[in-house]
Amino acid sequence: MKQRYFSTFQLIMLALFSALVVVAKIALRTPLQLSGHSGIFWMAIVVVAARVVPKPGAASVIGVTSGLLASFLGLGDFGFLNTFLSYGMLGIVADLVLWLLGGNAENLVVAILVGIFGHVAKFVVKWSFGLVTGAPLGFVALGLLRAIIGYIVFGAIGGLLGWLTLKALRRAGFFAYLAEKR
Amino acid sequence: MNQNKRIVIAVVILVVIVGAVLGVDFIQRQQAASVAPEDMPPGSIPIFVDGKFVASFVPDDLSQLEGASFVDAEEGKTQEGWLLRDVLLLYVKESKLKADTQVTVSSSSREKSQTLTWAEVDAQENMVLFDLSGRGTLKLVSKIPSFDTRDDWVQDVDKIEVVQP
Repeated sequence: MKQRYFSTFQLIMLALFSALVVVAKIALRTPLQLSGHSGIFWMAIVVVAARVVPKPGAASVIGVTSGLLASFLGLGDFGFLNTFLSYGMLGIVADLVLWLLGGNAENLVVAILVGIFGHVAKFVVKWSFGLVTGAPLGFVALGLLRAIIGYIVFGAIGGLLGWLTLKALRRAGFFAYLAEKR
Repeated sequence: MNQNKRIVIAVVILVVIVGAVLGVDFIQRQQAASVAPEDMPPGSIPIFVDGKFVASFVPDDLSQLEGASFVDAEEGKTQEGWLLRDVLLLYVKESKLKADTQVTVSSSSREKSQTLTWAEVDAQENMVLFDLSGRGTLKLVSKIPSFDTRDDWVQDVDKIEVVQP
């Protein structure tokens, strides 16, 4: 019998993480009025998920699934396609960067870079949409630079939080438990 | 390839991506500046009164305006920016604006527009304001019951029109 790439348990975990991304986006509010602040929890979830299900493609599945959920729930200011692609690309790029850096999300630098790249990918999708649809130039000339910096910083913080969560999970014996289950 | 090299390459790629985005934006601004009239700098929002161009709302004007904010009922997010009322009063005398004067804010790229009366715009409790989007463009938002969701709001605003009845 052909072995499936993700086990049922892993798919359930990925679905739960996808739902968590959307729930966090809806329910968690920060008082920060800066572009990209949602990356703090968003990228933390993706980094944790990529380690809990340590296979290339895990973050992509989360990105695409949460993108579908978010699109159907009508999240985002710029329509269905923009929401789906930005969520999806975030996961795909996070996956790609994780793979290129050796796949160990428990490495602090790797976790931070995954957070930054995933989050910047979301920004680039949104910005590209504006470019394609002929959106007007930013009202504030430095607005774009500020937005990019915001996405990088909050993506990095998200990566750091994800790394700290992984550390706590390891200390609590979660990965030993997972290994036993296998 | 060792890990340090990979990390350096990743950082270089990030710098290239950021540079490309800022570079494209810079080129767009240069191109727009070369064709735009002097009184309509790139990124500014032209204001028309009864079909006549009167001024452009430019970032320098922001220093004269007081900020305003509210939490939207739809997603519970804070919408923060500058009241449309205050923006208009920078260029149009209040005596010229009657309760039924129509104010239309539109976005050509999104093919969206919203027409409100001056009475609605002027009412502070309606919170008709411009929020700055992540891309740096303006988004018209409000608490007016028929104009309080993302579907109704006007993103990427590029024109304000005032029409006297």
